[in-house]
Amino acid sequence: MKKVEAIIKPFKLDDVKEALSEIGIYGMTVTEVSGYGRQKGHKEIYRGAEYVVDFVPKIKIELVVSSERVDEVVDTVREAANSGKIGDGKIFVLPVEQVVRVRTGETGREAL
Amino acid sequence: MNKTRVEKLIKNREALIERFLLGKEPDFLEKHALMIDDYLISMFENSTAAKNMTIAGTPFAVIALGGFGRNEQCIHSDIDLLILFRSRVPSEVEIFIQELLYPLWDERFEVGYAVRTIPECLELAFERFDVLTTILDARFICGASLIYTAFMEQFRADLSGKHFNSILHYLYEHGEKRHFDFGDSTYRIAPDLKSGFGGLRDYHTLLWYAKIKSNIKTRRDLEYHLFLSRFEYFTLEESLTEIWKIRNFLHHIIKRKCDTLHFEYQTELADLLGYKPKNRQPAVEHFLGDLHAKMDFLKQINQITFEDILRSINLKKGRSKIWPTKTSGLIIKKRRLYFANTVIIMQDPSLLLKIFLESGKRKIPLSIEARRIISEFKHLMDDNLRKDPGCIKIFKKVLSLSYWEFNVLNVMSTTGLLEKFIPEFSAIINKIQYNHYHLFPVDKHSIRCVQIINSFRKAREASEDNLYNSVFKEVREKNILIFAALLHDIGKSDPGSEHSKAGARIAEPVFRRFGFKSMQIRDGIFLIENHLLLIKTATRRDISDEETAVFLANKIGKIRLLRMLYLLTVADSKATGPKAWNQWTESLLRDLFLKTLGILKKGELASRKTQKVIRKTQSEVLQLTKERWEKEEIVRLLGLMSIRYLLYVPSQDIVDHIALYKNLGKNDFKWQVSKEKNSDIRSVSICGKDKPGFYSKIAGVFFMNGLDIVASQAYSFGPAYVLDIFKVKPPKDKIFEKEKWEKARMDLEYALRDEHFLDKALNRLPEKIKHSSGRIQRPNSIKIDNETSSFFTIVEVFTYDFPGLLFSITNALYQLNTDVHAAMISTKIDQVVDVFYIRSLENDSKIETEEELKLIKSVIFKSLPPVEIKENKNEKS
Repeated sequence: MKKVEAIIKPFKLDDVKEALSEIGIYGMTVTEVSGYGRQKGHKEIYRGAEYVVDFVPKIKIELVVSSERVDEVVDTVREAANSGKIGDGKIFVLPVEQVVRVRTGETGREAL
Repeated sequence: MNKTRVEKLIKNREALIERFLLGKEPDFLEKHALMIDDYLISMFENSTAAKNMTIAGTPFAVIALGGFGRNEQCIHSDIDLLILFRSRVPSEVEIFIQELLYPLWDERFEVGYAVRTIPECLELAFERFDVLTTILDARFICGASLIYTAFMEQFRADLSGKHFNSILHYLYEHGEKRHFDFGDSTYRIAPDLKSGFGGLRDYHTLLWYAKIKSNIKTRRDLEYHLFLSRFEYFTLEESLTEIWKIRNFLHHIIKRKCDTLHFEYQTELADLLGYKPKNRQPAVEHFLGDLHAKMDFLKQINQITFEDILRSINLKKGRSKIWPTKTSGLIIKKRRLYFANTVIIMQDPSLLLKIFLESGKRKIPLSIEARRIISEFKHLMDDNLRKDPGCIKIFKKVLSLSYWEFNVLNVMSTTGLLEKFIPEFSAIINKIQYNHYHLFPVDKHSIRCVQIINSFRKAREASEDNLYNSVFKEVREKNILIFAALLHDIGKSDPGSEHSKAGARIAEPVFRRFGFKSMQIRDGIFLIENHLLLIKTATRRDISDEETAVFLANKIGKIRLLRMLYLLTVADSKATGPKAWNQWTESLLRDLFLKTLGILKKGELASRKTQKVIRKTQSEVLQLTKERWEKEEIVRLLGLMSIRYLLYVPSQDIVDHIALYKNLGKNDFKWQVSKEKNSDIRSVSICGKDKPGFYSKIAGVFFMNGLDIVASQAYSFGPAYVLDIFKVKPPKDKIFEKEKWEKARMDLEYALRDEHFLDKALNRLPEKIKHSSGRIQRPNSIKIDNETSSFFTIVEVFTYDFPGLLFSITNALYQLNTDVHAAMISTKIDQVVDVFYIRSLENDSKIETEEELKLIKSVIFKSLPPVEIKENKNEKS
């Protein structure tokens, strides 16, 4: 099992969700995050006062899938989140040791 | 034997609970307590240990404390007991406790007990507040009643004597601490039925206070001893019955003691309590609406109690004076506003409103009595008063005086006067939206929204908050903004339709009634109808794309409206709850606001004239292409074109570009060369796949082929393509013109693949500029405008024309890792003004730092050959 963590642009969330549900992935955790990488912040000026956006608002989605599906999921997220510009985000894939469904106690693949 | 007694208790209790759940036990709490009493009494009567202790001269009393003492025993409430001896505790009491309580513990009853002597208990009661309050609720169950009465007599004597004042202080401070610790329980996702503000503890506090002050015995005495009016007493009964019922059902479904009404259980509880969906609103929302109204009442009870306690504490400091106010009919006593008498309200019902204005202006709260009077006289608020310009003026002032710390509008709402004055408001009172997102019922949310806008009046320390303050200062029609804030969700009374649209419809007659001018009404309606526009766009569109801001600027149209809409959006989100408002949304929204403002201020892309030009161009393009292509496809392509492109490129050129785009296939670019009418100039339309340096390479290829560029425009087309137009002087030798263009086309293909293909052209750039016009020559100059646009750094280059000029500059920009998004190149005789809209390739944003801007300036400067200054006399000759 793998955990897929993707940082994407906020307005791409609906596209990613839809693309994932099309390949049968319905569950995920979504967090509003801020950060910066190559796409740095910027500043705006209003009446002489500067308003600096030093951290760019992003969305983080996290989901755990079986190892066979990870490539498909990563491709789907990448395609849906892509606008061809800087700041489209990154996708991380991490190994997952165990999954337990709290309600039933099922483990591993059954718990996904 | 003991086992059968506890079994009997369990059996009877289960039957009782079952009848209660079926709604057949209106006096459940009392019966439940008495049932436990019965068990304790029978255990006591049959206990050898108890007999032995009595015979040995150490009789004792078994006393119920706390909620059990008040006969308010919920399904899984604790059973608190006190075993009280006169002056000595015998060791045999251990055996009695075992006999009495072990069977209960074995059956998982939550039983707490204390064994004390009278002096111990008295000492502890006045030392520890939690002990004192449980004793205030003490009730004798069995054993030596004389010990109980002896203790209570002494307790009462101490209570009303030496400890009276310190206990009231204690009660007051403890209440404040409780509110600090638990906060307001109403309008929480998971309200605390007991400890929070609006919970049962508010009623307990009143009861304790009444017991301390007047030694009342039961709840009923609250009215008889004038702690509550008759109306208040019955409303209290109704609220308590409902909250206890909910608490019991909650205990029942969780199977343990619990006072927090968790979100997850709310739907189930609504069903169990018999709520049904109504007016397209789910049952749970009706349930929570009712609950919040009841808890709101407990909150008012709490305020009454605390005001009374304060008065009791201060009473001994002598009577205070009565102060007149500027409004006749209103007076101030002990920092509270009162009506001078009730007759005066009959004579001048506008006093019902004026008291709020006085309160807001002087920051003096209404007395509880004044609130009661308003509730009773609110029927005087009739149609005539609602339309009365004087009353309307007062109300508008009250609106602008409602702050977080001192909210007159909220008080007006709890007295019921607000909905009398704006009857349309009543449909959203206690209207709950059941989700994690909306914390407050619609009416409270709207009032909070007004408060938050008013808070923008003050400058804050944090720069973020100062933005709201400076935007607010620039809003001229503050009244319409605040009014729109009050009414923005009024459409939620109509669950069937989109609430912003319905709201605009409902609000219009209200605005009219309040005498707003027609432009103000239009603004107000626009604000209500579009109050979700900014937040939706900020979270669902790419705000780093200029088109997003341009779209908004065109939709909103006026800077005035944008400012108001921004403040309304911020207030609306803040008033919704932490899910709707955090730094994340704040930063997105601020960014979008400032960018849209930039577009509106500049006017170029969002004026009425612009809209007209664009509409005309679009319809011309549709007309010109209707026989060649499907309309839907053309509409889609027009949607991808940038506003600047549609604004500045003639429709025939757009059609040419569409044709090139359609034929592009796998090619990197397609171009079309045509001869301009009435001139020798060639027009080259190009559609290509966007690659960094594309524009610079075209310029380089034209230079290499001796094709002199006189004007050019460059635009991006969707995220992946570019559309450029070059106006070029034809080659001097026109015989092989076609072949020459073909060679240039081939060169461009090479140049796009080979980064060094154009290196040799760079070496052929001139070293000096000679100018031939008769005017006074100016040195090269470069202006960088980084303020006009939020999206691009605008570079303006003023120089004299020379072969390869555009290539030289754009190549420099390309080497600086910037991308030209739009360019306008024009030549007048030989004076050239080139404007480039550039973005950093690395950041995908405009250039931000001073160092980078300086570098760009100097590199472009170096790319221009110096102007050769001629002597003045030479020029004359």
